[in-house]
Amino acid sequence: MAKGNGGAYPILFLTLVVLVSIVALTLIDGITRERIAEAQRQEIQEMLATLFPEMDGYGVDEGSGVYTILVSGSLVGQAVMAQATGYGGAIDILIGLEPDQRLRGIRVISQSETPGLGAKIVEADFLEQFAGMTLGDLALRKNGGSVDAITGATISTSAVIDGVRRGILELGTEGGG
Amino acid sequence: MGAWVKNFTNGIIRANPTFILLLGLCPTLAVSTSIDNAFGMTASVLFVLLAANVIVSALRRWIPDRVRIPTFIVVIATLVTIVDLALKAFIPPLSKSLGMYVPLIVVNCIILGRAEAFASKNTVWHSIADAIGMAVGFGAAIVLISFFRQVLGSGSLEVFNVRLFSIPGFVDNPAAIFLLPMGAFFVIGVLLALFRWMGVSECE
Amino acid sequence: MSVSELIAIFFGMALVNNMVLSKFLGLCPFFGVSKKLSSAFSMGIAVVLVMLVASAVTWPLFHYLLVPYGFEFMRTVIFILVIASLVQIIEMTIKRTNMTLYNALGIYLPLITTNCAVLGITFINIDQQYGFVQALVAALGAGAGFTLVLLIMSGIRERLDLADIPRVFRGAPIAFIVAGLLGLAFLAFGGMVG
Repeated sequence: MAKGNGGAYPILFLTLVVLVSIVALTLIDGITRERIAEAQRQEIQEMLATLFPEMDGYGVDEGSGVYTILVSGSLVGQAVMAQATGYGGAIDILIGLEPDQRLRGIRVISQSETPGLGAKIVEADFLEQFAGMTLGDLALRKNGGSVDAITGATISTSAVIDGVRRGILELGTEGGG
Repeated sequence: MGAWVKNFTNGIIRANPTFILLLGLCPTLAVSTSIDNAFGMTASVLFVLLAANVIVSALRRWIPDRVRIPTFIVVIATLVTIVDLALKAFIPPLSKSLGMYVPLIVVNCIILGRAEAFASKNTVWHSIADAIGMAVGFGAAIVLISFFRQVLGSGSLEVFNVRLFSIPGFVDNPAAIFLLPMGAFFVIGVLLALFRWMGVSECE
Repeated sequence: MSVSELIAIFFGMALVNNMVLSKFLGLCPFFGVSKKLSSAFSMGIAVVLVMLVASAVTWPLFHYLLVPYGFEFMRTVIFILVIASLVQIIEMTIKRTNMTLYNALGIYLPLITTNCAVLGITFINIDQQYGFVQALVAALGAGAGFTLVLLIMSGIRERLDLADIPRVFRGAPIAFIVAGLLGLAFLAFGGMVG
């Protein structure tokens, strides 16, 4: 079956195996790294385009995560990702902002809310109400705002509102507009 | 040849990793929300299991007994990372669906178990049979569970973005609970009982 | 990083996103060990310990060694090796210092290496971009949640063994169904955080 356990042989063998592993993976990483980065860029581009269909370019400030949306080189809006804590975990929201600080719109990028209830936050019916809203509108109707909650999913809705508010405030402090 | 076939079919029925050995449950239940995921996960497991079995079997005479588990682990972890990177680069949507459960294949008891119990003690040829059989058994199980979860949970069946069928009336108001984690537990519990009742496995 | 944020992470990991019931991690030992209350408790403690130490070691390893040199892809290999080694070391340490503890925990320790929950929490710490303290709190919460569910399950299973269950359901099938019901109950924690 297996060779003897004499002396240093086992350790040497294991070290060799780990080295082979590192070499093999470095090779694979070399092949895939660019592809993976490209796939991610593609994904961000598609994501931004859902809010700004007229976009033909974008810039990103790595530090703050703020995207500047460009058409023919000039700024037409900004976007930022915000994360909120919903019923079932993290909700990632993409927020698009017009230069006058009104919302272009929002998109829910990922969530794990209850299917059929909170998960409806990804539906167009729910999301389109955010277009054109200002910071002041961002609260549930019953709290004086303009957001209609999803029936039976107040927590998920509130989480989204919270995330959007934080995103806008963040854009504001990063020198937006 | 008879022995090869025997080793192969072992993994499908008699020692089905999911339903009989109750191994590798983490990924099975986690990704079984759709059949596409199930296929993707099965393909990943098949690759890792096959490669791991072949490598361990080929090297079995040189692996020192004392470091055999760490060796298996490094081999499997390397293969899993290869699959993870390949998916991220070439099939990003699948990589997103399967998420961290791809790297978690490394602690999937099926693979480590087969390396230890079979590949380290048998020839490469037979280890291949074992690997494919176990992967098929695993695949059958996860596809079966996904089938029920997807149909009951969303009222329709979609494979590779092609809608195969939907149940009229049900599709608008499906039993969404099956898409939630607990749905997975219910489905596998019932299926296990069903298999016992059919006499396929023994009761405790 | 406020205290309330840390509390939210803890309870989020322990209850809302329970490792076993909603992330499906840690199932193997879950069904094997959870037949007796006492063994469940021992396993739980051991898991919390390993999760904490593993997180404490893998976090700095990743952020100060792997990332600066561009070796993030070695994450899986390195993390699982760290966990396997840790389990060995912890096992040897306990054996030498406290025989009673060793006898209680002994056989469960090696099993923890293949516990998806331990490797899982080290991945989660990175994916969620936690800071060091947050990672430790998350590990604590995850371990606590795992232990809690394990205890509840074993308590229920002890009772189930005495109940009159149809033959085909006895053992694993009813355990899964009970786990499902437990998960259903845990959904109630959903509104707790945030």
